[in-house]
Amino acid sequence: MVEIHDFEQLDKHLFEVPVSFRKDMRVPARFYADKELLKGIITDNSLQQLINTATLPGIVKYALAMPDIHQGYGFPIGGVVATKLPDGIISPGGVGYDINCGVRLLATHLNQDEIKPYLEDLATILYSNCPSGVGKGGNIKLKTGELEQVITAGAKWAVKRGYGAEADLERTEEGGYMAGADPEKVSQRAKDRGKGQIGTLGAGNHFIELDVVHKVFDESTAQRIGLSQGQIAVQIHCGSRGLGHQVCGDYVRRFQKMIAKYGLNLPDRELVCAPLSSPEGQDYLAAMKAAANYAFANRQVLAFHIRRSFEQVLAGKVSNHHVFQIYDIAHNMAKVETHQIDGKRVQLCVHRKGATRAFGPGSAELPSVYRDIGQPVLVPGSMGTASWVLVGTEGSMAQTFGSTCHGAGRTMSRKKAKKTIRGSTLREELEGRGIQIRAGSMSGLAEEAPSAYKDVDRVVEVVHGAGIAKKVAKLRPIAVIKG
Amino acid sequence: MILGYFSSQIANELGHQAKTMGFEEVEHTADRALRIFGINLQELLISAAQGMTGLMVPDVSGVSAEVEKSIELDAIDAESLLVEWLSELVYWAETEMLIFTRFSIQNVTATHLQAIIFGEKVSELEKHIKAVTYHNLKIIKTSQGLEATIVFDV
Repeated sequence: MVEIHDFEQLDKHLFEVPVSFRKDMRVPARFYADKELLKGIITDNSLQQLINTATLPGIVKYALAMPDIHQGYGFPIGGVVATKLPDGIISPGGVGYDINCGVRLLATHLNQDEIKPYLEDLATILYSNCPSGVGKGGNIKLKTGELEQVITAGAKWAVKRGYGAEADLERTEEGGYMAGADPEKVSQRAKDRGKGQIGTLGAGNHFIELDVVHKVFDESTAQRIGLSQGQIAVQIHCGSRGLGHQVCGDYVRRFQKMIAKYGLNLPDRELVCAPLSSPEGQDYLAAMKAAANYAFANRQVLAFHIRRSFEQVLAGKVSNHHVFQIYDIAHNMAKVETHQIDGKRVQLCVHRKGATRAFGPGSAELPSVYRDIGQPVLVPGSMGTASWVLVGTEGSMAQTFGSTCHGAGRTMSRKKAKKTIRGSTLREELEGRGIQIRAGSMSGLAEEAPSAYKDVDRVVEVVHGAGIAKKVAKLRPIAVIKG
Repeated sequence: MILGYFSSQIANELGHQAKTMGFEEVEHTADRALRIFGINLQELLISAAQGMTGLMVPDVSGVSAEVEKSIELDAIDAESLLVEWLSELVYWAETEMLIFTRFSIQNVTATHLQAIIFGEKVSELEKHIKAVTYHNLKIIKTSQGLEATIVFDV
């Protein structure tokens, strides 16, 4: 275990475990927290996992963790690791099994009063139209060879097939698809797992949520993004489903042989990796991009189902039921990016596992509509609690390779949550607070109880206070749909 | 709480009870983890399969053995073989909702496995296992046989 005396406080919200802590560390390990979050962080193995990532070949500056850090496998969740090209490594476990798990935020021209009479029906139709839960397939049948198009073109495939508009792509990270995806690098088993799941939510912590914009903190930025107080918005949280899980598993298993081939000395086999410039590293990158494209397409099809649901319930009943896209972000991904390191522009492979890209104003990678304000960052809270919209800053570019937090972060194990919280009681409690719940599994609901998570407001205050993202708006849930 | 069955128990230096066969769930903040036991690799693999199946379908008493599959796997070491073996079961559960409850391992070494598994298609799964991880995975020799802790991404 890492003890409090093992690290030092560099700033109000920044802590560092020095490189001298363990012989195999190549760089220090830094994490963001406040005193309250710190108490939780030192109770599980998350700092140990962060320190393990500081041993990876080619890592630059420091291994980083955001304030929503919690124990994962291999990398901690909330971890950010940048390695220098060409010989720095890429690690499938550093991206995670749910490749391009992410969040899409949609918004409407409606306020809470307008939607209130139809909220129950809308929640029910959303649950019916957006397949969710374990083993639930999608209602989109792919033609022969079409899955290859999905994983090559991502959300562009979906828009071409009529599941959205060009404006959605412009407001999606990477324009909704990653160039360089190679279907040949994706196993048949991964394709088997993914072929029936396009447009599905899955289970676990994935959800669709109807929200009200509760408070705006930065009026001009909110207006540019398309948000205003009292407005109804919709979040989608999901990823690349079975295809992504299988891609990661295939390459973690295949990369076990890299330990001997590249003479790797790793504290945990889940950290297996290969130089990005190696044939194996390139193969994984091409497969990861394919899975990322699947996730972009998946969220695009779910957005289509959401728009269809609004049409079904609200057409002719409200003045405008149009649903438009704010942004779509990834929070499990590795990307080749150029960053300023000690005064030089350096190409890096930035792993974000449970962390969100948060590029500051002026970044060329941002769509023109948002380039001058910084990248919108979508931070979903735990079920029943607030979610946040932030933007990237110059501070995130300087401190964290343009990264920030991705959510609240768990504090309680799923096993304990199920033991101490009854799903049905939780549902009653949330509905008593005016939040409609549509969930397939009461035990799944219990696992995702708000009390099993950190306080998302506190996490956001830390990233805002540390200058690695800026608060724009806070959302409050009014309906939750999950598997 | 999921518990396997145990023929004997002794305390050992691991800080918990070493057992000859079975499995038990251990705490993990974000995912699910099982500690598995077996007097040899064959039994360890069966314990792991039973334990993981128990996460997906807590009550397997009604699951028949009408579907039979032959499995042959190769891996670089015993830990990898364990991950391959469980990943095989994850694949069938996700693609065809097939749950296996009887495992006949016919031939096993640290790097090779031949088995016939029996089960049936179920209508629902309580828990979706995304993947079987290598996180801190090490098969340890104990006074009672072998044990390992496996973390599942859920």
